[in-house]
Amino acid sequence: MIYLDNAATSWPKPPGVARAVSRALTHAVGNPGRTNHRLTMDAALLVQECRENLAQLFGIANPLRICFTANATEALNLAIKGIVSPGDHVICSSMEHNSVWRPLTALQKSGVAFSIAQANPAGVVDPASVERLIQPNTKLIVMLHASNVSGAIQPVAALGRLARDRGILMLLDAAQSAGSIPIDVQAMNIDLLAFPGHKGLLGPQGTGGLYVSEKVDLRPLKEGGTGSESNSPQQPSCYPDRLESGTLNLPGIAGLNQSVLCVLRRSVEAVARHEARITQRLLSGLARIDGVTVYGPALGVPRAPVVSFNIRAMDPVYVAAELERCADIACRPGWHCAGLAHRTLGTAETGTLRLSPGPFTRIAEISKALAAVAALARGDYKS
Amino acid sequence: MARILVIFASLNQVALLKRSLYRMGVYVEMQRTPHCLSATGCGFALRCEPSELTLLRMKCKELRIEPGGFFEETGQAEERHYRSLGSLEIDR
Repeated sequence: MIYLDNAATSWPKPPGVARAVSRALTHAVGNPGRTNHRLTMDAALLVQECRENLAQLFGIANPLRICFTANATEALNLAIKGIVSPGDHVICSSMEHNSVWRPLTALQKSGVAFSIAQANPAGVVDPASVERLIQPNTKLIVMLHASNVSGAIQPVAALGRLARDRGILMLLDAAQSAGSIPIDVQAMNIDLLAFPGHKGLLGPQGTGGLYVSEKVDLRPLKEGGTGSESNSPQQPSCYPDRLESGTLNLPGIAGLNQSVLCVLRRSVEAVARHEARITQRLLSGLARIDGVTVYGPALGVPRAPVVSFNIRAMDPVYVAAELERCADIACRPGWHCAGLAHRTLGTAETGTLRLSPGPFTRIAEISKALAAVAALARGDYKS
Repeated sequence: MARILVIFASLNQVALLKRSLYRMGVYVEMQRTPHCLSATGCGFALRCEPSELTLLRMKCKELRIEPGGFFEETGQAEERHYRSLGSLEIDR
C-alpha cells in the first residue's frame, strides 16, 4: 500500500515503537503513583523520560508542565475550557479544526464570545487581522500551526509576539506540525501547546499532550485519583497531577517515548526538509494534470505535508475509493473535520481529496500516486 | 547510620529529580512517604546520603520543585525516627 494519510495518523511507526508498547504490556508495568513496588517506580521513570523527551523537542524548560492526554482534541478542550470563563473573549482563525471550533461554539452558551480571523484564500492568517479583533476582555488566541486541509502554516512567532505584547494567552494547536515543523515554545511565546502523539510524533493512537506554561493555571477537565495528596477532597495544585486524573495510558506513553526518541535522533529539521521535498514534488506533479485544482499555498511556498485537491467535479469519496482500488493508495476524502477551513478555501460544498505524505514516504511512491491521479483524471479507470 | 529523606507531593516530582540526579551519577532511592510524615496522604520521597543533601537542595531549586520537607532518618525497619531539617521555599 502507498500510505498517504499521515495527517489522520502516521504510518508506518519507527522501529522499536511496537516493541516498546508490547514490552509495557508483557512486563507487568505498574501504575505510576499508586503504590511502592519496583514496577510502579519503573513506570513513573518511563513516563518521566517521555515528558523530558517531549520537553527537549518543544524547548520546554520544565517537563512537569506537560500533561498527557488521549489526543490533541482532549488537550485543546482541556486548555480552552480550563482558561476561559463567562465574559471572556477568544480569537481563532477561519482555518481551525472542529476540535477548536466546536468547543468555542459550545462555550458561547455559557457567555464566552469568540471572533474568527479570516484567513486568505490559501489559508494563511495575517497577524494584523488578529490584532484588529482584540477586545479589552480577550483572554486567549487559539490558532492551529498548520492546516489539516490546505497545509498552510500560520505565522506563529508573530502571533506569539502579538499575544505577549497585549497580555493575551496563546494556545497553539500543533496537531499537524508537532514532529514535522520545528516548535520552540519559548522563542514563539506559546503559553499552551496541544499536540497529538500519533501523527508527526509517530507514536501510538490514544496519546497526546498539553504543555502549560508556568504563568497559566488551568481548571482541570476532570478530577480524581492522581496518587498524590489523597486525603484531600481538592485536586492537587502541583503539575502535572492537577490535570492528570486516572490511570495513564502507559503502553501508549511507552510507544510515544520511543517514537519521540526517533524524531529527536533524526531531528525535526531533517524531517521537515524531507517532507518539504516530497510535498513540493507532489504539488508540481498535480499542477501538470489537466482538471486538477489544488488548494492552499502556491507551489514553492512552505507548507505542512498536506495537499488537498479536486479533479474537476468528481466526488472526492469516489476518487479516494478508485485510488485505493486501482493503485492501492490510502488517502482521505471529505471535509476533514474542519468545516470552517472548507468555507475559507471555497470547498464547503464539495470537500476535497487529501494526500498527506509522512517522514517515510518515498519519491517513488509520490510518482506512482501522481500517475494514478493522472489516469483517473483522464478517465482511464473504469469500475 | 542517619539517612536523609526528602518528601514531595507527587511521584512525578520525585521521578524528575531522580532522573536528573542519575544523569549526574548520583543514585537516590524513590519510595512512598512514611505514614507519619504524610500529612496529606499518598506522598513520595527520595532517600539519600547526608553528603548528598546540599546537591538535592540545589536540584530542587534549579527544577523549581518545592519539597514537603527534609528529614533526618535514623533507626531501622519499624523503628525509624525522623527529625525535621526544615523546608525549602522556591521563588515563583
